[in-house]
Amino acid sequence: MKRSLLHSTILYAAVIVACALLVFPIYWLFITAISPPDQLRVLPPRFWPEIPRWDVFGAVMRDRPILLWLGNSALAAIGSVILSMTVSVLAGYSLSRFRVRGGQSLGLFILTAKMLPATLLVIPLFGIFRTLDLIGSLWSIVLAHATLIIPFTTWMLKGYFDTIPRELEQAAMVDGCSPLGAMARVILPVSTPGLAATALYGFVLSWSDYAYARTFLTNAQTNWTANLGITTMKGEYISNWGDISAASILVALPVLVIYLFLERYLVGGLTAGAEK
Amino acid sequence: MKPGFSLDLARPSRRHWLGYLLLAPAVLLIGLIIVYPLIVSVDISFQNVTIARLDQARRPFTTANYERLFTSPDFWNAAWITLKLVVIVSLFCFLLGLGTALLVNNKFKGQSLARLLVALPWAVPEVIAVVIFAWMFDSSFGLMNWIFIKLGFIDTTVNWFSSPAAAFMVVCVTMIWKGYPFVSIMMLAGLQSIPEDFYNAARVDGANTWQRLVNITIPSLMPILGVTLVLVMLWVFRDFSIIYVLTGGGPLKATQTLSIMTYEQAFGFFKMGYASAIGVITLIVCIIASRLMMGRAPDNI
Repeated sequence: MKRSLLHSTILYAAVIVACALLVFPIYWLFITAISPPDQLRVLPPRFWPEIPRWDVFGAVMRDRPILLWLGNSALAAIGSVILSMTVSVLAGYSLSRFRVRGGQSLGLFILTAKMLPATLLVIPLFGIFRTLDLIGSLWSIVLAHATLIIPFTTWMLKGYFDTIPRELEQAAMVDGCSPLGAMARVILPVSTPGLAATALYGFVLSWSDYAYARTFLTNAQTNWTANLGITTMKGEYISNWGDISAASILVALPVLVIYLFLERYLVGGLTAGAEK
Repeated sequence: MKPGFSLDLARPSRRHWLGYLLLAPAVLLIGLIIVYPLIVSVDISFQNVTIARLDQARRPFTTANYERLFTSPDFWNAAWITLKLVVIVSLFCFLLGLGTALLVNNKFKGQSLARLLVALPWAVPEVIAVVIFAWMFDSSFGLMNWIFIKLGFIDTTVNWFSSPAAAFMVVCVTMIWKGYPFVSIMMLAGLQSIPEDFYNAARVDGANTWQRLVNITIPSLMPILGVTLVLVMLWVFRDFSIIYVLTGGGPLKATQTLSIMTYEQAFGFFKMGYASAIGVITLIVCIIASRLMMGRAPDNI
């Protein structure tokens, strides 16, 4: 269908305005980071600094333990993703391929577990981790984040395995593979895009957590995750918005990059990929 | 893996054992870190516990926490705040999300870039979203004060975080910005699953844009619309990070939702039993809501 000139002008204008409005807060974070401090507290606000201060990222990494916090976030996220993926690849495959008794209700339970309020689970976990002497340790976060990740990854992977034709592993078994061998050699390689998307999504869940880190890590500053560290910067008497913004960009960057990879999986659904 | 063992499991009569075997690690882990803690929660909600340690002796059974809860004005205030927040944030997330999805679902140059951009806030961690909006709503040099004065909405700078109504509004704005992309992602997926033929047939029959929207698009989106609505409402209902970091539940409890109240009671006043009781109530609401959508849930969400 051909569109009139007026129609397309309106369409483009609407798209540009919508994008600009919705992305503006991220732009503003960036501008705040690279503006010299004396240009932040001025009216009218500057929408582009005269002399951008590009060294701010290096400076904030020197002045604050940002790298340590980012490292902790990465350790926690990688740990909880490995733990969650290990159990949920097996469980997702089982739920997709076998008619196990209680599988249906386990599936429903997992779906319900996604609805758990973190503020409820954090109370008994606090008690359990105190008893196990894990408070202040990153291990508490690895376990706590697994509670966030496993319900998602198991369900996503089950859905993904459902899209892969059973004939694939049946053929492999006819060729002499064991059921586990067929899964490991045929299904998992075909599932790489799904596994990657799922693992990255798990990573984002762990990376973005605040509630668990706030509760379990407060007494050991060297184990703070990046999100927790950022909030302590915000809480200072007069917030140094330039430094906070620079640090925030460093924290948000990994998930923004992951998002660029994840986007087509989200919009296109997790259904494509098996035919290749 | 020993060959005999695998061969055994390959036999159709034994195959379901493999199913259980593969499920076992997940069941074990979920049992340890989700189910057991949940049981502990329910258990301590019936005790007068201050600081939870599991190696202490169990306190006597009491329903005092729940009795106190239902007679406490704070609880009803938090429930009301939560309800207001859920309704306002979900409504705007929907209007914005559906609007942007319909907009970028049009065919135009740069469509994929536009889709990438409008869903970007979804990827921003909640704490970072709070940093952005806390600064934009800064009481003296925040961008919002300047814009609102320019637009003539206010005469002088507003201290957004000391006025109850203003703080509630800032929380809403932050949550809407963080939450609408999820709606647009879901709606786009839904829009793309509607066959083009429907629209062509409608055009042949002479339906205009509005009629196509009302008679094809909206009804086709209904199932995914319902699920998305429940997911967004539950997200707002349970959210902790945004409100806690932005306002801490204040001022004057104006932004104290049930989640914030649970956390404050548990880790501010160390009333673990009382806090667990609030949490259990929250959980029951979540379960009822998720049950309602269960029948319609697509597998992949």
